[in-house]
This record gives sequence, C-alpha cells and structure tokens, in this order.
Amino acid sequence: MANKIIQWIDRRFPLTSFVKHELTGYPTPRNLSYWWNFGFLAGIVLTLQVVTGIFLAMHYKPDASVAFDSIQHIMRDVNYGWLLRFMHSTGASAFFLVIYIHMARTLYYGSYRAPRELMWWTGQGLLLLLMATAFMGYLLPWGQMSFWGATVITNLFRATPFIGDQVVVWLRGDYAVGDDTLTRFFALHYLFPFLIIAGVVVHLVALHTVRSSNPSGIDLADKDNIPFHPYFTSKDFFGLGVFLIAYFTVVFFFPHSMIEAENNIPANPMVTPNHIVPEWYFLPFYAILRSVPNMVGGVAAMFLSVMIFAFMPFLDRSRIPGGARYRPVYRVLFFIFMLDILVLGYVGYYPPTSQTIAIGQVATFYYFGSFLLLPFISKAEDQWLFKKGLPPNIIALIESEAIEKRILPQRRRRGDIT
Amino acid sequence: MNKFIAVLVLHCFISPAWAEEAKLEKIQVDTSVLAVERGVDTFMNACHGCHSLKYVHYRDLAGFGVNKDKISAWRGDSTLDAAMTSLMSDDAAMQSFGKIPPDLSMMTKAREGGNSYLYSYLIGYYLTPEGMTSNHVFPETKMPDALGMSGATDPAQRSEVQAKAHDIVSFLSWAADPHEAERLTLGYYVIGYLIILTLLLYNVMLAVWSKIK
Ligand code: HEC
Repeated sequence: MANKIIQWIDRRFPLTSFVKHELTGYPTPRNLSYWWNFGFLAGIVLTLQVVTGIFLAMHYKPDASVAFDSIQHIMRDVNYGWLLRFMHSTGASAFFLVIYIHMARTLYYGSYRAPRELMWWTGQGLLLLLMATAFMGYLLPWGQMSFWGATVITNLFRATPFIGDQVVVWLRGDYAVGDDTLTRFFALHYLFPFLIIAGVVVHLVALHTVRSSNPSGIDLADKDNIPFHPYFTSKDFFGLGVFLIAYFTVVFFFPHSMIEAENNIPANPMVTPNHIVPEWYFLPFYAILRSVPNMVGGVAAMFLSVMIFAFMPFLDRSRIPGGARYRPVYRVLFFIFMLDILVLGYVGYYPPTSQTIAIGQVATFYYFGSFLLLPFISKAEDQWLFKKGLPPNIIALIESEAIEKRILPQRRRRGDIT
Repeated sequence: MNKFIAVLVLHCFISPAWAEEAKLEKIQVDTSVLAVERGVDTFMNACHGCHSLKYVHYRDLAGFGVNKDKISAWRGDSTLDAAMTSLMSDDAAMQSFGKIPPDLSMMTKAREGGNSYLYSYLIGYYLTPEGMTSNHVFPETKMPDALGMSGATDPAQRSEVQAKAHDIVSFLSWAADPHEAERLTLGYYVIGYLIILTLLLYNVMLAVWSKIK
C-alpha cells in the first residue's frame, strides 16, 4: 500500500529521487568531526523558535498598554505558557551560540574558501536576518530593557547620511519608540523567520552543489565519501541529544539567567535604567560601537565589524588546504581573534570607564587589524610553508585526492557511481 | 576551541551577577506552602496597604494549597478571581511618598540579586546617629521601615523581623514564578529522558558506523 502511494506520487513529483539524491545517497566526507554538527543544530533551533513563537503569538498582544501584561498572562495562566516562553527566550541565545560556533568552525577550517563562497555569503545574510529578528523580538516583552535597548539602537540610524532623522522616524513609526514601534516590530518579528527559512533553503541548495567541506580542507573525491543517511543522520541525532540536554537544562533550571532583571519592569519612557546593555550576543559589536569616539564612526565600525566576515574569501590568500589545521600562523591568529571577541564582549557588558574604553579600543583595533593584515600574513605563511615543505601526510592526501579526481570520470563512465 | 565555548557559555550565565554592588545577605527561600502562607499573612498586614500584586489572584493562592479560610479573610469583599491589588490610589501614594510604590508581583525577578536583594532591603533599615531611619541597601528609599527593623533593638525582636522578612520573600518569590516547583519536577523527568535517549542514540551511531570502520 505504502509502495503504491509512493509510486503514485513519484509519477507526479520526484519524491524518491529527491530523497535519494539529497539524503540517502548524498555523498558526505567521512572524516567530518563533531564541529560539523552545528549546521543541523541551527536548523533545529530555528524550528524550535518558529514553533514556540507561533504558539506564543496566539496569546501575546502587541499593544504597548497590554504587552507586558500579556507576557505575564502567558507565564501564569496559559497552559505550559511558561515553558513556551522560556524555550523561546533561551532558544534565542542557543541560536546565536550555535551559529557562532558554526561560523567559528568555518573560519577555523577555511570552509569559506572556493568553491564555498556563496555558502559563506548566504550565511552572512542569514546572520544579519537573525540579528534583526532577535533585536525586534527583544522589544516585544515591553520591559525596561526592551524599550531602552530599542531606543538606543534605532537611534544609531541617525548616523545615516542626509536622511538620518527621517530613517529613525521611519523605523520607529513615531518620534520615539512607542506603540507603533511595537506593532511593526511584532509584524516583522513574525515575518523574518520565514525569510530565514527561505535563506536556509538557498544555503542548502548551495551546499548540495558544492558539498560539505571537511577537516582536511580537500574536496575528498568519492572514495572517502559516504551516504549522508544513515551515517550522518545518526551522528546528527546523537549531537541533537547532547544539545537538547544542555538547552533544556537552562530552560528548566536556569531560565531566568536569560532574562535581564531590568526587563521584568514594565517599559517606562520617563525612567532610564542606569545601565543599558544589549543581550550577550551583541556585546562584542556593541563594544566596537562604543570604542569609536564619534557616533557616525562608531556606527560604521559596528556595521563593518559584522559585514567584514564576508570578505574572508578574498582576504585569505593561502593555498594550503585544511584551514588552521595545517597553518600554524593562521591557527594562532584564529585563537587570538576568538579571545579578542571575548574581551570585546566583556568590555561591552561594563559601563564605560576610561580603563574599559582603552581595552575596548585596543581590542577593536586588533579586531579589524586581523582582517586587514590577513592577506599579507596568509601570503607570507603560504610561501614559508611551501618552502619549508608540507607535512608528509598532507602531501599524501593531496596526491591521493588528485589521483581520485583523475580516475573519477572513468569510474563514472563505467557506471560504478552515479 | 573547547575552552572558547566553555568561556562563552560561562560568560552568558555569570554576566548578570557582575552588576551587583551592595553587599547582600544571601538567602535561600522556603518553598513550602506553610512558609508562603505565613508570608502572605505578613504581607497583607505590613505591605498590602501600599503595594499591589496585580498579577497574583486569590485563586492562585488557593491553587497553591494555601488555607481557604485564611484566603477568605484576606480578600474581604474581593472575589476569588480578583487580583491582589492594593487599596492605595496612585494619587494618595504620590501625596505621601512622591512615588508610587511598585507592584511586587515580579519584584524578586526585577532586581539584581533577586530574593537576597529583597531580604537585605527589608532588614536593611537602621537608625542613623541623628535618629533618622536609613537603609543599607537602598539608602535614599522613600519607603518607611514597614517591618520595624530599625526600632528592633534586642536580638529576639531582630530575629523575629528577619523571620518575617524571610517569609515575605518566600511568598514574593513564589508570586514571581508560581510554576517554579512544577518546572523543576518536569525538568528532572525531561533531562532524565533525554539522557537515556541520547545514550541510545549514541549506541545507534556506533552500530551504524561500525559497518565502515
Ligand atoms: C507606607 C507604604 C509602604 C509600605 C507599608 C510598604 N512599602 Fe514598600 N515601598 C513603598 C514605596 C513608596 C516604595 C518606593 C521606594 C522608592 O523607590 O524610593 C517602596 C518600594 C518597595 C520595594 C522596591 C525597592 C526597590 O529596590 O526599588 C520593595 C521590594 C518593597 N517596597 C517591598 C515592601 C514590602 C515587602 C513591604 C511589607 C513588609 C512593603 N514594601 C511595605 C511604600 C511602602
């Protein structure tokens, strides 16, 4: 019976061949490490956010006079409303954590390099959408931090040349953040995740064209590829189990650590909190914003600090495969860069003092410096490594890969593989 | 890389704690129904005149298991479905304090330090050498010393006030997060289930991969 149904569908829609091509037969490098689990996890968190979000939206009221009350209604009266809300608020942080690890992996292993530039750029677009979605979602509880965070950030758009003031009013729907801002942020907060889903589809189509990168950095020819299912489905599901344990530990036992105390006070335009901080995932960028003394410069620097990742395929001039693995200088740069981001996060959290400003400026300088010097460093490192001679195992790998690539067309012609 | 993640995760959990300034008396609230009941009792006598609890309804107390007769006594003419709003009007409050006493439904979650902050604040009143009452935790507070800590001189009196403050905080902590007990219990089941599931998934993965390794 099931077979008949599938046949019926297959005559009208390429179901079986799609599943075969994209899942059961999709060739995946066998040497992927657990760092390659995070793309799948990002998809799961996205799903969790969309599902909990839709149910929250059934009880939430985007109206400045009752928004805060409606959150309390969800937390207290709606059946398992507290669970939905804590899953959603914790999920936002989980999403960024997963995405940042996913990006760090890409940077470490050089997965942004040819032919995967489009993966990296669609990912960059997804990051921007995610940031916008999180930022707008944070306004919805209509607490003090929601209100003042939105006020501070929308105000940054005053730095837009010529039409700054108009842009700010256009974003807010009013001269100050208020009811109109809340309703439009709600509408867009509901819309953007679906744009993200569309972006993910593009990201995945590109992935299935260029195939997964792998820790060796070489495009393993078919010899070392194995079908995605059941090998990587089983690995991804195990990773998912570990992730869910961590995620639900926070949801059930420390959910309030994800909600700023100040945000449990209803928004009040007359009272400014004495310390306005963004969520942790924006802190490094916020620190960069504050490190530049001039507002327009700060906004430009902050915007650039997010966008500069897109230039990585051009900035990295090395020919050595395998990212940081076979590149000692790049590896050191990578880890210092990670440390630098943590320092920036730390600086972004604190109210500015002359000391933290100084640290922040050094860290900001280093942040951009490591991108701008990368072309020269990577080129020099490349020449040094080739002169010194590459390690034997990687030479062997490159050679076997070259051989595989040569015999691949023959095998394909013989019909060994499709 | 592992360390990087550890630091990042740690960072997002501990960051709220950094902002703490005043030294607080660290307390653990009592989550038992009896403690909460005593807390409501003291609250109705000492605080409800000025502060409301607009997100807490009398029926929520009944749902938690608080004595029904006591609830009827507290609510007076209000219905069981009514919110525990205070009798003081905003105008009257502005007249007396220049400020509206904040709603306390979310108070234990609305301050850095949470329960410990509240407790330290309530017992933080003292008499200055000039004979004025002041507060260690919130020196410029407009709120009078409702529990009488500044006037309590002998240790027995002081510990009585501390016990009252502790009960009130236990009650307010429940009020801010009424589903906490349910959340923790469910949490243990969910995490237990996930651990078993993950172990099984791990074995499935090993079995699948054993075919090619
Ligand atoms: C006479 C009226 C009055 C009574 C009675 C009263 N309060 Fe207050 N309370 C106030 C006012 C006014 C404020 C605002 C203080 C300020 O912000 O300066 C306040 C503020 C508070 C705060 C917030 C402090 C902060 O950090 O902003 C808490 C918590 C609080 N009260 C708890 C209580 C508790 C618990 C009781 C019962 C023991 C109580 N209050 C009794 C008037 C009162």
